[in-house]
Amino acid sequence: MHAVRTPPRVADGLSAAPARRRRREPTPYLLILPTLLVLAGLLAFPLAYMTELSFKRLTLRDLFTGGAGSWVGVANYSKILHDPFFWTVVVRTIAVAAICVVVSVLSGLLVALLMQRVSGWVRVCMIVSMMLVWALPQLVATQVFTWLVDTDWGVLNWLIDKVVPGVDFTNHSWFIDLWQGWSVIIALVVWGAVPFLAISLYAGLTQVPRELQEAAVVDGAGPWAVFRSVTWPILRPLVVIVTTLSVIWDMGLFTQPYIARASKPELDYYSLAIYAYQEAFAKSNYNTGSAIAVLTVLLMIGVMALYARQMFKIGDAD
Amino acid sequence: MAAPDAAAARTRRVQAVGVGRRRSATVLWNLVGLGFALVMVFPVYWMLSTAFKPANEVQTFTPHLVPQHPTLDNFRSALHAPNFVTDLKNSLIITLFSVLAGLVVGFLGALAIARFRFYGRKAMIAVILVVQMVPFTALLIPLYKTLNGVHWTNSLVGVTVTYLILVLPYTVWMLRGFIVNIPKELDEAALVDGCNRAQTFYRIILPLTGPGLVAAAVYGFIQTWNEFIIINTLNDPAHWNLMAFLASNQTLRGTTWGPLMAGATITSLPVVVFFLIIQRNIATGLTAGAVKG
Repeated sequence: MHAVRTPPRVADGLSAAPARRRRREPTPYLLILPTLLVLAGLLAFPLAYMTELSFKRLTLRDLFTGGAGSWVGVANYSKILHDPFFWTVVVRTIAVAAICVVVSVLSGLLVALLMQRVSGWVRVCMIVSMMLVWALPQLVATQVFTWLVDTDWGVLNWLIDKVVPGVDFTNHSWFIDLWQGWSVIIALVVWGAVPFLAISLYAGLTQVPRELQEAAVVDGAGPWAVFRSVTWPILRPLVVIVTTLSVIWDMGLFTQPYIARASKPELDYYSLAIYAYQEAFAKSNYNTGSAIAVLTVLLMIGVMALYARQMFKIGDAD
Repeated sequence: MAAPDAAAARTRRVQAVGVGRRRSATVLWNLVGLGFALVMVFPVYWMLSTAFKPANEVQTFTPHLVPQHPTLDNFRSALHAPNFVTDLKNSLIITLFSVLAGLVVGFLGALAIARFRFYGRKAMIAVILVVQMVPFTALLIPLYKTLNGVHWTNSLVGVTVTYLILVLPYTVWMLRGFIVNIPKELDEAALVDGCNRAQTFYRIILPLTGPGLVAAAVYGFIQTWNEFIIINTLNDPAHWNLMAFLASNQTLRGTTWGPLMAGATITSLPVVVFFLIIQRNIATGLTAGAVKG
């Protein structure tokens, strides 16, 4: 009797109830809770605290007694923003990052295209050599480069002396002139970045169907036209992502100039990240240091949003 | 008359991209490729070569490509440097515990993101993607002040906890990728067979995530092993890791490059070995899905 009266409702209820219950389930929240706590403690809280510090001033007395300091409004920011040196560092950081990104992404792309054209065993050699470079810790890589350009016994000075006629590079110091010094640093960054870029882009190139390229050639397209009309459209999303990543990495440049100058960088070798760090830990100006760090993060937040959006757009983050 | 010509030209053009590429061009490209490989690998080679050279060969006006009298002296002096062994031990302890903690927390987080729809999920993913990009030197000021306040500076506990921020986001991200690829039907079959949710995770998803756990662990190892600036700021030399030790052995002028390169070789060795094991996963983790041909 019961059953006769209510079959459709029962069926409805059966299919709807579990779905609704699943939506209210506490399991996912319990599972994500530890991650959330770590992110809150090590990301959200420091960011908030850093912002707070950037609006305060700690006196020397506060530093020793652990005092909280006093609110000074935007005084730290206005001090920094009126300091020409800050703007020098901002322009330098952006310029260096721009050069590094353009040179390393272009080189990466060229190397990837080269990898397509060489014989198999040469490709293996290229991959092995790039893997070794990629795996080398950044700190070690910087020390090795510093050794290569060493004033007294560096192999680069010897090589230039020998190969380029009419110049004397004996005991040449690469870091006295800031243009030369930054050239070494940029070379180091590009050298370290090319393996990731070239190998990722090469993997992308293998996804371009051979038939499409051949069809384009049959239709009379030259190598450049094939690249522009067939290869590039397929490669583009990947190039956007690796470029975004490179921008983020190179804007946060720290290790290379800091270690190349043996942890005591001169003002000429400050990047924004080094500036904030030195302000806080070499000069104990935690407040100005925090303000610089906040400005650095703000400067980069647009690029980070672009990266996250791109990952969602290609559906990988779903 | 014109038709066979056009056909021949077409064949020639196809061959230009296809299998029968011109031999001389390939030889040329091969030379360029080999030259590139040599230039790229030279600094790595130079590190090794210097590490095995006696002091008088390191400081010479005409550098030798190959050590004339190879020696292990540099390695000996690196090993006997004050704090080297302590800092090596510290490196191992810190790495072990932060990676383990990262794996446990990260596996649970990845499960939530990969297997459930819940409020705030997308925001969570965005945070995990973005946090990998935050320059952590920016967070160092508040972290230092906080840890100093609770007397966790100059201790291994403080850095181990701090390093979770290096390990966790990537671990969650990588494990999520693995869990998403386990068919949901497997979970459902286990549920039908009478497993509860916890048993499904434990018996179905955990074993199938095995390779992901290994890859995430190795990646976390590399991250924490390579870190030197946080630990250099938070701790004194007795509580440093090997990287911070290495950084402190360099001076602006008059660095003893032989022992430094030997120390650099020892410090890099585990990272390079592990990196080569999981390099596939690292590359795809950062850009996965961008190529769907």
